[in-house]
Amino acid sequence: MIPVRCFSCGNVISSVWDEYKKRIQTEDPGKVLDDLGVERYCCRRMLLTHVELVDLLAPYQ
Amino acid sequence: MVYKCTRCKRAVEIDYQYSGIRCPYCGHRILVKERPVLVKRVKAE
Amino acid sequence: MDIDIIELSERKARFVLSGVSASFANALRRSTLAEVPVLAIDDVNIYDNTSVLFDEQLALRLGLIPLKANAKNYNYPEECSCGGLGCASCQVSLTLSAEGPKIVHAGDMVSTDPDVRPADSSIPIVELKEKHKVVVEAVARLGTGRKHSKWQAGVAGGYKNMPILIIGDCDTCGKCVEVCPRKILKLEGNRVKVTEIIECSLCKLCEKTCDMNAIKVSDDPESFVMTFETSGNITASELAIEAAGSIKKRAGQLVEILETLG
Repeated sequence: MIPVRCFSCGNVISSVWDEYKKRIQTEDPGKVLDDLGVERYCCRRMLLTHVELVDLLAPYQ
Repeated sequence: MVYKCTRCKRAVEIDYQYSGIRCPYCGHRILVKERPVLVKRVKAE
Repeated sequence: MDIDIIELSERKARFVLSGVSASFANALRRSTLAEVPVLAIDDVNIYDNTSVLFDEQLALRLGLIPLKANAKNYNYPEECSCGGLGCASCQVSLTLSAEGPKIVHAGDMVSTDPDVRPADSSIPIVELKEKHKVVVEAVARLGTGRKHSKWQAGVAGGYKNMPILIIGDCDTCGKCVEVCPRKILKLEGNRVKVTEIIECSLCKLCEKTCDMNAIKVSDDPESFVMTFETSGNITASELAIEAAGSIKKRAGQLVEILETLG
């Protein structure tokens, strides 16, 4: 799961995750982040570098 | 204490005298402890 | 003290604070982070959780969700008339029950007080697969960022000194215009003009590249460009007012203590 807040500044970044994930299929991630108002590089790396592990873990529940 | 066999998914009572950790129905040696049915209070931090 | 607002939206504030010392500006910044009370989920009662996250992870995620509420309606649990046992004036309960397959969002939480709700309803809490189930009751309390960062009202607060750029004898070579990383210098006719002085990062690259030593970059030690944001639990203007109020309150307490000392 995407962390709720940015590790460095504490801003909430997960609220844009669903839209971000959908839009990067067709658009440039950097431009999407600009558009979603994720300004600082600390918050941007949270979304850019996130790896979703839920699907990997779910079968072992 | 009731455990659950990870292969046949049946509830298993462990018999320490007889076979050690082993499912009496299918012989599988991996058993898991089920979540107890009580409310767990966790601090959100 | 003088305040000149540059930008003010619900979640972000940027203003020039002039006529104060650096220590006051820093006190205001620290106050936004650590002293402004907001509501956040503190205790989580887990009835059932068969999701991929374990109980503590789930509780932490719930705690970090900013809650929008009027904090004035609530007391600190340690100062409440109930003596910290928990009553309607010091805590709110939010319940969440969901069954997979679905993604549970912060907006799915049901609050007992209609005024208390998550600031962003689109925060994903947990993704549930087939047969996964989550039934939790979360108890939100008032607190400050001093205790835990989940109660932090302001995020990314900061300030810089107000930049001052003086351009003297210039031969309009345009080198400074090219080198400025913030692009605030512009060549206009036979002189260099500063467009957005507030955007200057005080890097002094223009000063170094100028062959004529015509540019002088300095800062005003008593004027600050302050920026802060909130995570949605209170508005940016409320945050500034509350933070300043907290400094005033604590300064008053200090005076009282000093008076008793004689």
